[in-house]
Amino acid sequence: MFARRKLWNIVSALVAAALVLAACAPAATPQVIKETEVVTVKETQIVKETQVVTITATPEPFKPQGKLTVGLTTDIAAIEVPYAPERQADNASKTMYDSLVFPTADGNYEPALAESWDVSADGKTYTFHLRKDVTFHNGEPFNADSVVYSWQVYSQPEVTYANNWTIAETVEKVDDYTVNISTAEPNALLLPYVAVGWAMIPPKAHAEMGVQAFAQSPIGTGPFMFKEWVKGDHLVVVANPNYWRQGYPKVAEIEFKFLTEAATRVAAVQTGEIDIAPRLTSDDAQTLLGAPGVQIIRYPVNRVYYLAFNNLTTGKDTPLEKPEVRQALAHAIDMDAIIKAIFSGYATRAVGFVGPSDLGFDGAEPVEYNVEKAKQLLADAGYPNGFEMDMACPDAGYPKINDVCQAISGYLNEVGVKNTLDLQEANAYWEREANKELPPLFVDSWSSTVPDSYGRLQGALGQGETYANWYDEKLVSLIEQVAVTVDTDKRAEVYREIQTYMRENPPFVYLYFPEAFEAVTTRVQDYKPRSAENYFLWDVSVSD
Amino acid sequence: MQRYIVSSVTQAVLVLAGVLILVFFMVRATGDPARLMLAREAKPEQVEEFREKMGFNRPLIVQFGDFVFKAFTGDFGNSLHYRLPAFDLILERLPATVQLAVVALIMAVVIAIPLGLIGGASPGSPVDAVGRAIGLVGQTVPPFWLALVLIIVFAVNLRWFPTSGRDEWTSVVMPGLVLSLGTMGRLVRLTRSSVLEIMGDDYIRTARSKGLSDSVIFFKHALRNAAIPLITVIGVQFGYMLGGTVIIESVFAWPGLGRLVAESIGRRDFPLVQGIAFFASAVVILLTVLTDILYALVDPRIRYE
Repeated sequence: MFARRKLWNIVSALVAAALVLAACAPAATPQVIKETEVVTVKETQIVKETQVVTITATPEPFKPQGKLTVGLTTDIAAIEVPYAPERQADNASKTMYDSLVFPTADGNYEPALAESWDVSADGKTYTFHLRKDVTFHNGEPFNADSVVYSWQVYSQPEVTYANNWTIAETVEKVDDYTVNISTAEPNALLLPYVAVGWAMIPPKAHAEMGVQAFAQSPIGTGPFMFKEWVKGDHLVVVANPNYWRQGYPKVAEIEFKFLTEAATRVAAVQTGEIDIAPRLTSDDAQTLLGAPGVQIIRYPVNRVYYLAFNNLTTGKDTPLEKPEVRQALAHAIDMDAIIKAIFSGYATRAVGFVGPSDLGFDGAEPVEYNVEKAKQLLADAGYPNGFEMDMACPDAGYPKINDVCQAISGYLNEVGVKNTLDLQEANAYWEREANKELPPLFVDSWSSTVPDSYGRLQGALGQGETYANWYDEKLVSLIEQVAVTVDTDKRAEVYREIQTYMRENPPFVYLYFPEAFEAVTTRVQDYKPRSAENYFLWDVSVSD
Repeated sequence: MQRYIVSSVTQAVLVLAGVLILVFFMVRATGDPARLMLAREAKPEQVEEFREKMGFNRPLIVQFGDFVFKAFTGDFGNSLHYRLPAFDLILERLPATVQLAVVALIMAVVIAIPLGLIGGASPGSPVDAVGRAIGLVGQTVPPFWLALVLIIVFAVNLRWFPTSGRDEWTSVVMPGLVLSLGTMGRLVRLTRSSVLEIMGDDYIRTARSKGLSDSVIFFKHALRNAAIPLITVIGVQFGYMLGGTVIIESVFAWPGLGRLVAESIGRRDFPLVQGIAFFASAVVILLTVLTDILYALVDPRIRYE
């Protein structure tokens, strides 16, 4: 009996010890990265004294007020703009930085950290004249050295968005507040790339902190300053009191919460735990209609979905080489029906690779759904009985893409293009797309962060590009022409020529531009997401 | 006893090595993360340059050797996405997962065991009905669905708890409950059937024939023996919970290991996936070994075999 009792005691003690150990563990909170404390106690006191003086002497200066909470759809992996791997991380990061120029909503560029800029006669060199009154969050002055240093740091191959920076061949300091940025050839994309990607960082602080530490608590000139980043949970930024845009930002603090599930975002915006719930489906949006204190906003997204053809590898010497066949496939698909049935009508038909918000969009009529015409075109091309061909899609790679692909596959079968749909794991699918191993028919989409379609035209159709599966000599030269035409009106003209050509010799069947749904609490003012699902929060305010 | 422990531990180490090899090659089966990590507009040369820089263009076996060598020194490499040591990231997420697992385990044990004991001692009683209902619901209701229902009812409508996140103590209640339910169901059924079985055993009849009271028989004889299978189940379940739960952590936006591993797989963040797989397997194996040892301590028959 005694032995058994002893044993029992040991067991109980072990269980208790395990529970105590386990229970102790959660007491340690996740490692929280806090902003570097640079202010000494003495200086703080001085600041307090001056504050007292200001309040008594003048009316109270403008002060940012309230807290804005944004639900992001993913746990962000980086908060430095050039490393931000996707849109959500990019949006959150951009609150802390500025670039030389700022992209306006209508596709133009206005001065930001650069007051003005000139372009050299040969179109290869941009001279930026910098603002003289800007300091970084740590007090370091912003000047030409910061521009040169930022470019040197972020044009390295290991940087995720190095391609935004390597567009410049040289970045040279002319004097303290003037820099020359040169491209190898005249390049119309320089300004857009600088605007979206060139986040300016302080050379001294970056060098002292090192790459890794800087990535955890970055410093910029932006409207908000880094406060806290608990990975997998939230990012907090606070208003920059010395922001160069007078009277901004309007909110004192922004918290980005990472809410992967759409259902969670829907719930959280109803309780007011978050103010902005992005990337909802039209179904989610429906359930929120009429919820008190919540408004639903909807806007077109600059992302074109397309059925691609291949004439480089798998589709070589197939019926696809004939333009009539490709035109036939466009006539065979009832896009309006797909949009109505699958997206409840909330999508815009694509008429080309140039989007409605892009430069040079010609607003052509969409291709008419006409089975007879499709069959006729196939017969004209020499395929009266159709043909067999494989088709692939990225399984759940995009919202409702499987449904769309099944519908397309069915429509193609109807006109005699016998196909079986192969839904492939999305990441493996894109890998095969890059290796040009996908079947001759495949569905994909391409977004644009700037209101200009050059990036996706070049990416999907340029010679030797990673994701290009189609080669058309005429198109390649037209797209090259876009790149070197710096004058906006002339570029728009080339874009119109491209659109016409791409309807006669379609390298894709253009499907649709999706629409984005977001739920926003009614206390939020002036939140204006753009077609790239991006937004700037410095002019957003909240009322309580 | 010593031999028993040594063989358990040896097995554990072998399993762990196997897991590492499997994970290493499995995460690389669909290609490397170079294209995923760079912009879609990046040129093939830029992709190649990136591969070169990150070492992805070396033969797999060389990469594996490098990985094993470093793993021995406790270095799992840097996460490709966070650009921080994988192990630090795991430790950062661990408290959230441990908290959730402990809360869930306590909920499961505190609710399931009394229900199972009473149910087993008096089958057919109202308490037994409740216990059996929990057993059924716990093992059949999908956690994802239950989580959403709880959020709608208790967070959106009643506002008793926050919908998601890990802020105040109330935020752990709903995810903890959802996570506990499966284990709770299993424990109720197991406890109940153990008690039922034991109550019919010879030694209980002997105890009765000695004239011992029902409560003495129940608490001193039946209970102790019923505990033996429970230890195994609790140990193993706790191990799984500590590995993180993808669905529950995603729905409740709980910053734990489950979400980290799900996202890392999607991003082909090899070092991080390897680190988490290693860690989670190590925890499960460790708890299994501990359970084995506990089991042997409680039940002498195992030691002597």
